[in-house]
Amino acid sequence: MSPNAGAGLELRQLCRQVGDRRLLDRLDLHVAPGECVALLGPSGCGKSTTLRLVAGLDPASGGQVLLDGEDLSERGPGERQVAMVFQSYALYPHLSVAGNLELGLKVRGMAPRERQRRIDATLELLQLGELRQRRPAQLSGGQRQRVALARALLRDPRIVLLDEPMSNLDAQLREELRPELRRLLCGREQPVIYVTHDQQEAVGMADRIALLEAGRLQQVGSPRELYTNPANRFVASFLGRPAINLLAIEPGRQLGLRPEHLELGDNGAVAARLLRREWWGHQQLLWLDSPWGTLRVLTAPEAPTPPEPRLSWQRQHELWFDPQSGARLAP
Amino acid sequence: MNKRGTTLLMLPALLLLAAVFLYPLLRYAWLSLHASSVLTGLVPVPNGGANWGRLLDDARFWTDAVQTLRFALVSVALELVGGLALALLLHRPLRGRGPLRALTLLPWALPTTVMALGWRWILNDPHGPLNAAIRSLGGSSYGFLSTPATTWFFVVLADVWKTMPFVALLLLAGLQTIPLDLEEALRLEGASRLQILRRLTLPLLVPYLSLALLFRLAQALGVFDLIQVLTGGGPAGSTESLALYAYLNAMRFLDFGYASTVMLATFLLLLVLLGGGWLLLRRAGLERTSGRPA
Amino acid sequence: MRLLVLLWSLGPLLWQLRTSLLRPEALVAPLLDGNPWTLANYQLVLSGDPPFWRYLANSTLVGLVTTVLTLLLAVPCAYGLHKERGPVRWGVGLALVAAAMFPTVLLFLALLEIARSFGLANNLLSLSLPYTALSLPLAVLLLRAAFADLPPELEDAARLEGLNLGQRLKHVLLPLLGPALASTAILVFLASWNEYAIALTWISRNDLLTLPIAIARIGGGSVFTIPYGAFAAATVLGSLPLLLLVLLAQRSIVSGLTRGAVKG
Repeated sequence: MSPNAGAGLELRQLCRQVGDRRLLDRLDLHVAPGECVALLGPSGCGKSTTLRLVAGLDPASGGQVLLDGEDLSERGPGERQVAMVFQSYALYPHLSVAGNLELGLKVRGMAPRERQRRIDATLELLQLGELRQRRPAQLSGGQRQRVALARALLRDPRIVLLDEPMSNLDAQLREELRPELRRLLCGREQPVIYVTHDQQEAVGMADRIALLEAGRLQQVGSPRELYTNPANRFVASFLGRPAINLLAIEPGRQLGLRPEHLELGDNGAVAARLLRREWWGHQQLLWLDSPWGTLRVLTAPEAPTPPEPRLSWQRQHELWFDPQSGARLAP
Repeated sequence: MNKRGTTLLMLPALLLLAAVFLYPLLRYAWLSLHASSVLTGLVPVPNGGANWGRLLDDARFWTDAVQTLRFALVSVALELVGGLALALLLHRPLRGRGPLRALTLLPWALPTTVMALGWRWILNDPHGPLNAAIRSLGGSSYGFLSTPATTWFFVVLADVWKTMPFVALLLLAGLQTIPLDLEEALRLEGASRLQILRRLTLPLLVPYLSLALLFRLAQALGVFDLIQVLTGGGPAGSTESLALYAYLNAMRFLDFGYASTVMLATFLLLLVLLGGGWLLLRRAGLERTSGRPA
Repeated sequence: MRLLVLLWSLGPLLWQLRTSLLRPEALVAPLLDGNPWTLANYQLVLSGDPPFWRYLANSTLVGLVTTVLTLLLAVPCAYGLHKERGPVRWGVGLALVAAAMFPTVLLFLALLEIARSFGLANNLLSLSLPYTALSLPLAVLLLRAAFADLPPELEDAARLEGLNLGQRLKHVLLPLLGPALASTAILVFLASWNEYAIALTWISRNDLLTLPIAIARIGGGSVFTIPYGAFAAATVLGSLPLLLLVLLAQRSIVSGLTRGAVKG
């Protein structure tokens, strides 16, 4: 055990390289016991790769995976006590719900009575009791997801990994299931890693968000930290919808302004022309033509638009970036 | 599972394959440099390149090579055309398509010897049904299997009958990969069925046609059991194939050294032909993809 | 159109059936009197020495043993190949395609030598060894395609639950591979049932002949010394099991070959 070993899951300088492609580049991440960290990023950013390295499904090219200070790197996926919910749920199509839960326990040599007891308890927890004899093909998407979750939680795993567990569900169901998923996952002992490409889901599920892009960790922190204090232009433009306005108003610096931070009035620094109005009910999004290009402005739904609108904003909301590297610059 | 583990899993199968496919070729290479016949008591004795010298001067070998090539090219060409027609027919939504497919597949599933005997009877002179039909139309019996100039074609016919269903099945698999909306889009633009076939179906079927062509060419160049049972290579050696000649050298003339030489030469010939065919297909394929859009 | 196709594929077979049911005299000239139909040809073939069903049994035995052996070797090989990456995967794949295309008659001489030096000739079980090798390339290619068709997460999930390779194959992969295994098995069985060159050279004892050789031997005589109806009866009897197999397993054969073509 290393001297600075802490409780929870710790990834140290974790790398994955296939051929000359770097899928993951020296990732450092700590997930405390009971904490849920969302790995967020566009597809191909390395978030699923990270999950597979933690699970031991793929070999790491470098770095370590530590759990409560203990190095898991040499252990196979079956010896890590890791549970994972896959995007496709990966339910065995030829087995019933109960059969899906039972297989893992059976190969471990658990006695039939004990197996039955555990399965019953888990099915009850997830309200799946009536479905126990059904095959996966006879279940709805939401039910499949719950069976996958049941299979993951059944074995009292030391780490829980979820790989886009909601992306096969329709938007409404996703919102409905979020609180239930939180109830089941959080407040337990294990560290949880939740992979998603959907920022709403990340914000809804996770205590902290780790944003990845091109195999590199861009920033990790609470949703509020990432939104208000982004480490670079990628973080600023990935988080927040509608996306941040990026303006090249001076040479050598790029100004980022969130749509809700632009104000329309009769007095302002810049003249603009209204192109289009999207009315969303709780808000409206205005598209404006300006000398700096097309801008997005978010206002109250009934806010009137001046006939000759001018734009202004407060200094405290300015985010400055290096136009080339995208690095954050001091104001 | 680590890298070495997966390789280990393949090992038993690969060892058996090496013993049955690779070892014979090496053995032939070695034997072809030896005299091993009744004269040497079937004990291999090195004889320099005598077998290969003999092969170059062996008129029967070269005649057989030409005959084998003729057989292979004509029967594969007919099989591709016929197989394509059959596949197009079976691809259309027909009543009773399942049983129809099974029944058309039957000739391919039966042992070659069984159907070769069947054809021998059908082509029999004078009692076969074909000759009976000719006579009833006022003609006189024809020696289908005893006329050296034409017998090879009836061997081709029997081969086409047996293997066409297999080609059709491969092409049918190809047809099923073509999305229906492509055809519908073309039809909306007013294309005729022939134009659809030429502009859409055939280009998309090229990989399957190539696969069928190469596979069938390799098999046809090694034709053996059909000819052995149907004609025995006759009449007057006019249907003898290279594989049959190699077989006769080994089993009838008991000349293992020369038989090995013939087999290896056949294999090399096959390699050259298939390699050439493959390169040709690849070039055609490249031109297709780099040329104007279809 | 359909009728024409059926006539083309089935005509020769139906003619054999008709021939097998005719009295020998009726084959050569129209009978002047009496019923031309008879079952005598079948009686003749079935009461031969050895009786014809013996050859059917021989071929069935070789076919079954070959099928089992092939699957036993092909499943791990296909799995290994499916997991393999890089030049080994490429090389083995190419070698398998080449072997699948290879005209097997060219192998018989060297195999005969092996059979003689190891005492494998005239033994139905040992005949399954070369047959297994001949069927392996296609079987491995088909099964590899089937493994590739399975969602990879299924196996990942099983690994996470601690199933070792054997358990994954037994509980997860093979049950899902059922249809592919069935169609592969049928194709292997057909190939073994129909093989000629190796059986011809390995087996000389009359009671051990496989069906294709037995039929070729019966047909080896002249049309006039041996009644042709008897050959026809033999071919009909030899075709019946395959007829049943093809009709029953039509779907599975078609899907098997289709998969092979798409991935091969």
